[in-house]
Parts: sequence; C-alpha cells; structure tokens
Amino acid sequence: MAHRVDHEYDYLFKIVLIGDSGVGKTNILSRFTRNEFCLESKSTIGVEFATRTLQVEGKTVKAQIWDTAGQERYRAITSAYYRGAVGALMVYDITKRQTFDNVQRWLRELRDHADSNIVIMMAGNKSDLNHLRAVTEEDGQALAEREGLSFLETSALEATNIEKAFQTILTEIYHIISKKALAAQEAAASTAIPGQGTTINVTDTSGNTKRGCCST
Amino acid sequence: MFGTQSKRDLTLELQAQFPILRPSIHARRANLTVKFQDLYGFTVEGNVDDVNVLNEVREKVRQQGRVWWALEASKGANWYLQPQVSSLSEGIVLKSSLKLAALANSITLKRLIRKGIPPVLRPKVWFSLSGAAKKKSTVPESYYNDLTKAVDGKVTPATRQIDHDLPRTFPGHPWLDTPEGHAALRRVLVGYSFRDSDVGYCQGLNYVAALLLLVMKTEEDAFWMLAVLLENVLVNDCYTNNLSGCHVEQRVFKDLLAKKCPRIAAHLEALEFDVSLVATEWFLCLFSKSLPSETTLRVWDVLFYEGAKVLFHAALAIFMMKEDELLLTHQVGDIINILQRTTHHLFDPDELLTVAFDKIGFMTTNTISKQRKKQEPEVMKELDERLRRLNSLRTDDK
Repeated sequence: MAHRVDHEYDYLFKIVLIGDSGVGKTNILSRFTRNEFCLESKSTIGVEFATRTLQVEGKTVKAQIWDTAGQERYRAITSAYYRGAVGALMVYDITKRQTFDNVQRWLRELRDHADSNIVIMMAGNKSDLNHLRAVTEEDGQALAEREGLSFLETSALEATNIEKAFQTILTEIYHIISKKALAAQEAAASTAIPGQGTTINVTDTSGNTKRGCCST
Repeated sequence: MFGTQSKRDLTLELQAQFPILRPSIHARRANLTVKFQDLYGFTVEGNVDDVNVLNEVREKVRQQGRVWWALEASKGANWYLQPQVSSLSEGIVLKSSLKLAALANSITLKRLIRKGIPPVLRPKVWFSLSGAAKKKSTVPESYYNDLTKAVDGKVTPATRQIDHDLPRTFPGHPWLDTPEGHAALRRVLVGYSFRDSDVGYCQGLNYVAALLLLVMKTEEDAFWMLAVLLENVLVNDCYTNNLSGCHVEQRVFKDLLAKKCPRIAAHLEALEFDVSLVATEWFLCLFSKSLPSETTLRVWDVLFYEGAKVLFHAALAIFMMKEDELLLTHQVGDIINILQRTTHHLFDPDELLTVAFDKIGFMTTNTISKQRKKQEPEVMKELDERLRRLNSLRTDDK
C-alpha cells in the first residue's frame, strides 16, 4: 500500500507490527501515532491501525501502522493483515527471552505472507526495564546482522527510539520506491521510440497504484 | 462488588448508581464528547446524542421488564423454561395437544427474546435456554469447585497467557479490573483451559468470560455458560490451536455478504478488503470488544436461543447499515475506520437487531451448516499448506 495521492500526502506506506503477545506492539503504535503510552491497554484481538503524516526526505508520507493479536494461533488468519505492507516492525521484549527466540518464526511468517521487498526492522522493546533484561543488545544486534535487518532497542514507555525506528523504516521504503521509479523510468525511456513525445508516467510505473507498490 | 451479590441486587444497584444522564446545555451546544458509565459499569465515550440514546435504551429495558413480568403472571413463573418451548425452536416435532400451546409459547418467546431479556432475568433465562443448565446437571455438583482446586497453582502456556491478559481485559472496569475480578476471571479461564486442552486458552475468550461473569449470578454459572458456548452453541474448533472453525466462519460470512449485500461485497472485493480484517474480532469476542455492553448482550440473548447463525445476522447488519458510506471508500483503512466507529457507537440495540433480523431476512441454521461443510475442506487444505510452507522455510534456515 504505497499510493501516491496529490492532496494531503505524497505517499501512503503501510507498516505492520508483529511479535509475540505482550511485547508492546499496541503501545509502540500509540506512542508513534499519538505520542501516548497506556499502562492499561486492552489486549488486541482483531486489527487496529493508526496513521501519522510526517516528512521523509522532503516528501510528505502518511504512515499507516497496523497492529494485531500476537498469540501464536492467530498467525494463520493474518494473510489479509500483511497484504500491501511495505514495512514491518518486528518486536520482541528484552525482558522475555522467549519473545526473542520467536523472532525467527515471525520472520518465516513474513517471508510466507508478505512481499519479498518488505523492509523489516527488528525492535527490542522495553529498554526501560534494563534491570530485568533477558536479551543483551549484542544478541539482538547479532541476529539482526545475520538476517540482514535493521535493529534498535526501543522503549514505548520512555519514548526512546520509537521515532527513529519508524523514520528508518520509512526512509528505507522511500529509497526503494524512488529507485524503482527511476529504474522504471529508464526502462520506459529505453523502450520508447525517441522523438515521439512519449509520456513517462512515473506514478503508474513505480507501482503507486491502489494495488500497492510491491503487489504482484 | 459484583461477584458476591445476587444479580437482582446488582442490577438495582447499577440503576441507582447511574441515574438518568442529563447533559448540560453547554455540552449540547458544543457537541462535546462526554465520558459516562453504562448499565454494566463500562466507561463509554460519546456525544450528547449518544447519552440520549442510552437513556432511551434504559427506559426500553424497564418496559421490556414489565412485559416479562406480565407474562410470568399470566403463564406462570418459568413458563419459558418448559422443555417443549425451547426444544421446538430446534425443530423437534411435538405430539398432540401440547403442540399448539407450546408452539404459541415458542413463537412468543422467540419474539420476546429478540426484543431483549431484562438484565435481571438474563442469568436464569440464558442458563436454561442455552443448555448450560443441562450440561451442568450431567456432572457431580462439586465439579467446578473440584476443577478449580485441582488446577490451582499449575503453570501451563495457557495460564501464562491468561495471567498476561487479566489486567488487559476491560481495564478500568469497576469490578473486572480489581483483584477480586481478576481472580474470578482467572479461575474461569484456567478451569476451562484444563477442561478442554484442545482449546486451552485463546485470546478473546478473556472478553467473553468477563462479560459472562458480569451477567451471571455466580462464577460457576459463568463457567458453564462459557462451556456451553464453546461446546454447543458456536461452531466447532473456533478457538482451537489453528482457529480453523473461525476461518470457516469467515469464509461463510464472506459468501453471505456477497449474497445479502452484493454491492458492498463487490466494492470490498475491488479494494481487496478481506472481511476477516474486521470480522475475526467480532466472531471470536462475540462482539464484546466492539459493541457497547447492552447491545452485545442483546445479541447474546438471541445467540443463546437461536444459535451461532445470529453472529452472521449481526455482522451482516453492521455492514448493511453503513452501505452508503462504505461504497464511497477508496481505501482499506477507511473501511476499517467506518466499521469500528459504527460498532463503538451502536448504543441502541434495536437499531442493530431490527436490521439484523428484518432486513437481512431469513437464514436457517441448516443452510449455514451446509455452507460450513462446503468451506471446511478448503480451509483445512490451506492451513495444511501453510504449515508445510513454514516447515520448508524452517529447513531452509538450517
């Protein structure tokens, strides 16, 4: 979902939050979109989403962040959840080893459902609970490097790195989109017969249609 | 507060506690959003119109109570509990002279229930008509006590997830979100997770069980209501390991939407919107997380009497009520927004139920069962394929 609309924003990017139940997905969402943190949030069952419009390299980008249930049995009903997503924030809880060990399973889930070009960032959340830490930052970093993901430790409670995490994802998506647009432009230019005034429609060829940039 | 009292006291107390709300003239003018507590103690946010609707609903609940009392006076107490009345609705043919009286009672009852069971009568009527009473009667009296004692202190993946969800189930509710409320909810959910290890605990059941605790007279009765729901009322495997039953319901719902609201269905298809994005929560939480409490309970009134097809009626109605608005959307996000806003503000249960039954029209349990049978093989195949794909990715990792 990366459409380009003329009016309020240049791009709409859909980003999904994934990770085990209780790692703090919902609070990451509310921190980023409303700058709120709620100690008493309800467990998420269906799909929740919120948006925030921000500037990425001079473009107005509307980030649409999706959040859903983390319990394992819910994973099979989420193919619609991933549809059109161009970014994913994969979250674990630094105080719960199990949630970190499950990151591999979430990665498989992404590879199975999401577009192969999806931008993935891994976030070790609850960095404010350093005294309860069960996963070192080095372990997180090492896994991220092995899997080729960006990585940050975050705290939705203290608003640490939340902004940075999304900015990183959105910028990376924007780079991919602009590269694609450029490539498509060049491809269109090389096949077009010169001198006939062919209009190169960047919007269309870059995949910025309603189907989303990465849909196949 | 809620757990130790009889239901009758509770309802009276709640009604005394939350008097008719009179929004100030300033609130009216400014169209302010106000926070208030509803009949079951939930904090609700709404504008002045919502407050007015809620006041009207309260008045209707009172009127409906008078209708039920009058019927008790003329037909005798517990008239609706006679086996003929409830079994007739399941299509069992009766013999001879009983037939006519029972049929009349059954028609009256169906109509009455669609208009709502008064909160004071809900524990008794639900318990009996849903089959929970019968289920409970087949086991020794001490079953629930023995069960909760036997499982006390045991730790399983289910209990860990339950403990995690207790404070996240209707946070801020005056009784549910207290140590007493958490303890009661925990006993019901943990007890059930051991009763049916295929289900264990599925997120979503916390909301269902919490609402059952608020309605039923005792914790034990809430447990049996949960049991009858999962084991008899709803489709099989709704909450088990891969939620296959829920997947089936989503497919059936999609087909029904295409049949009953073809224009909406076509539009959603064009936007690549999958109904499961919103309906999964509806079907797994039985609307308790989406609709205001009295509206949810009115859906449950009918659910316990007429069966799981009622969920389709309600879900279709929500879409149908917003047809015009939905047809104007261009993005998946807008659809979700409209539907979530609509459900959260459906303070008038009759608004929903009128559409659900009068406009959606007749659907038999039989037709829906057939549709489920049709979808099952496809769902199972897809779930198997998914597992196979994930397993093959696993080997790739090594």
